[in-house]
Amino acid sequence: MKNGPLFLFGLLVSAVIAWSAIVLGAHGQLGGLTPWFDDGEGKSHPARPTGLAARGQLVYADLGCAAGHTQQVRRPGFGSDQERGWGDRQSVARDYIFQERPQIGSSRIGPDLANFGARKPQPPSAETLLALLHSGSDRHPAFPFLFETRKIEGESSARALKLSGKAAPSVGYEVVPSERAVTLVAYLLNLNSPYVYPEAKPLVRAVAKEEGKK
Amino acid sequence: MITSTIQPPPSDGDMVGLHARGPLLTAFGLAIGWLVASGVFSLIAAIQLHSAAFLADCEYLTHGRVRALAETSFVYGWAGGAGISAVVLILSRLGGNPLRAANWFGAGSVFWNLGIAAGLVGIATGDMTSFSLLQLPRYVQPLMVFASAAMGIAGLLAWSGRRRDGTFASPWYGVAGLVLLPWALTAAQVSLLWFPMRGVLQAVAAAWYTEAVIFLWLTPLSLACACYLAAKLVGRALPSYEAAPLAFWMLIVVGTWSAGRHLVGGPVPAWIPTMAVFSFSMLLYHFAVVGLNLRPVFGLSGSVGSALKFGVGSYLLYGAVAFLACFRGIALRTQFTHFASATEQLFLYGSVSMILFAALYFLVPQLLGRGWSSPALMSGHLAGATIGVVLSVVALGWAGISQGAVMLEPKTGFGEIASGVRPYLLVNTGAQLVLLASNLLLAVNFLRSLCSCCQGSGVSTALSEGSAS
Repeated sequence: MKNGPLFLFGLLVSAVIAWSAIVLGAHGQLGGLTPWFDDGEGKSHPARPTGLAARGQLVYADLGCAAGHTQQVRRPGFGSDQERGWGDRQSVARDYIFQERPQIGSSRIGPDLANFGARKPQPPSAETLLALLHSGSDRHPAFPFLFETRKIEGESSARALKLSGKAAPSVGYEVVPSERAVTLVAYLLNLNSPYVYPEAKPLVRAVAKEEGKK
Repeated sequence: MITSTIQPPPSDGDMVGLHARGPLLTAFGLAIGWLVASGVFSLIAAIQLHSAAFLADCEYLTHGRVRALAETSFVYGWAGGAGISAVVLILSRLGGNPLRAANWFGAGSVFWNLGIAAGLVGIATGDMTSFSLLQLPRYVQPLMVFASAAMGIAGLLAWSGRRRDGTFASPWYGVAGLVLLPWALTAAQVSLLWFPMRGVLQAVAAAWYTEAVIFLWLTPLSLACACYLAAKLVGRALPSYEAAPLAFWMLIVVGTWSAGRHLVGGPVPAWIPTMAVFSFSMLLYHFAVVGLNLRPVFGLSGSVGSALKFGVGSYLLYGAVAFLACFRGIALRTQFTHFASATEQLFLYGSVSMILFAALYFLVPQLLGRGWSSPALMSGHLAGATIGVVLSVVALGWAGISQGAVMLEPKTGFGEIASGVRPYLLVNTGAQLVLLASNLLLAVNFLRSLCSCCQGSGVSTALSEGSAS
């Protein structure tokens, strides 16, 4: 390593090769993923997120929600994601192609949200979600800064939250969700990818067979 | 004998050149400042893990943002700032010349720290990028590339103008750390921020960058310090040195191929996590050789020696734990849990930070021309840091394992899981408190040493610049 330029060249080449292999390699494999057109249904999947939901994803990202929630369902037999009702199939790369900033996350302090908009037995309502965001719970922090508490002038707003107990505002006041709260909730309720793509299928069967043998 | 080129400990404190003292001491001082700041953020994040309501109603301190603040100020502010400065100083010492381009280093360091300060404000107000270890808002990212390159130039010049040439691992690791960060940062910015890739490819590129920060930046910086300190403190040739070049290249060449270990079971091509197992098993050679080369440090005593011992030991342990966690069977139980934080803490705090502490305690007296003002504060700091790291790694690791086990049971709700791990998380909060307190001791000791040095000898105006930090 007496030859300085050669040493530096070696360093850079090593890093470039590794980056190209992993990042560009994955790009070569998945960069051209297109939505899947289902002939039977006559439409393609995944659907583009609504404008409101796409904006909500930015709120989700800037609050750092990914520090506590993942958005990736693992395959059957690998964890208890299906049994917990987080999704019927594993998440695949195609689920995320229309997401501007996919929030797959790496920490499950709370539940996975990949299919939050289609929770069973029944999906959460916007009101419940707004109330949770406003007042929090034992385990979920409250984000009151996403709401405006204001004096009721004339009629109370149709968007005002119906809060009771400690969380309720004082008499003559109402709590109205800000635009950020509305888009965030729209995003959360829009999170749903039920369609079973071909690439999401085979692994499920193979695992099921294996488990059958056992 | 190839190791004969290791120099004897320098006798005079002026080999770096008086002009370089100000910028270097300022950089060390600011890095210590970020360390204390990150301690405050980590403490808040640790409390929020068991008491979700704590400060969460403050928009600037939601859990996600506090974690990003803690991580950014620790990795870029403390580890990056202190690591780059220490490596530049070491390269200049090993080169045997006064530091050239000290102005470049000084300017780079100023912009580096300004970038971090602006970035932290940006994260607190919601501009974080949401990529792990790359949380600085996009508007300060280009600045970080130029600032790190400017700081690195001083180290590169010191290395290229070296008077002695020999087989000694410290400069290789040092130069690698200095050169590869600007490159990796640029690659990550292009693929994630300027021309974002589609969908999960962002997760792949972000995982690669995480791995690059670990194996192409922080590991080389800390190993450069560790090899230098080991040779100085042990005072004789390190064993098995002939294997060191291969271990070095193993780290650089295959280090980042293991990026997929952060994506096990995720919606990415299956070969990426598989490749991680393969490349990490090759990395074991690197860890083994580092262990062999540095095994004399395990016989060291004294505060600095113990810190170095702990740092090297943590690095080896990190290699073993991270290797095991690559495997799907184990990742199934550890991923998405506090175990990942424990592993990260083991690397960032146990290994990188402890080695940097040892480096600071060894190098700063040479810059000041006199010892640390209080040996008691020094041993108090190192003892506190050791206890804090052990406690937090064990607590988080244990929490992660028990959390991972119950997460596999679909019947167990998240409330039950949270109350199950609460005791461990409380211990972690205690550990973060100990870490913060002990790092304050370091800050106080550093400031006192600067002041007493200024008063005592009135060495230079450069020193007063340093104390202003």
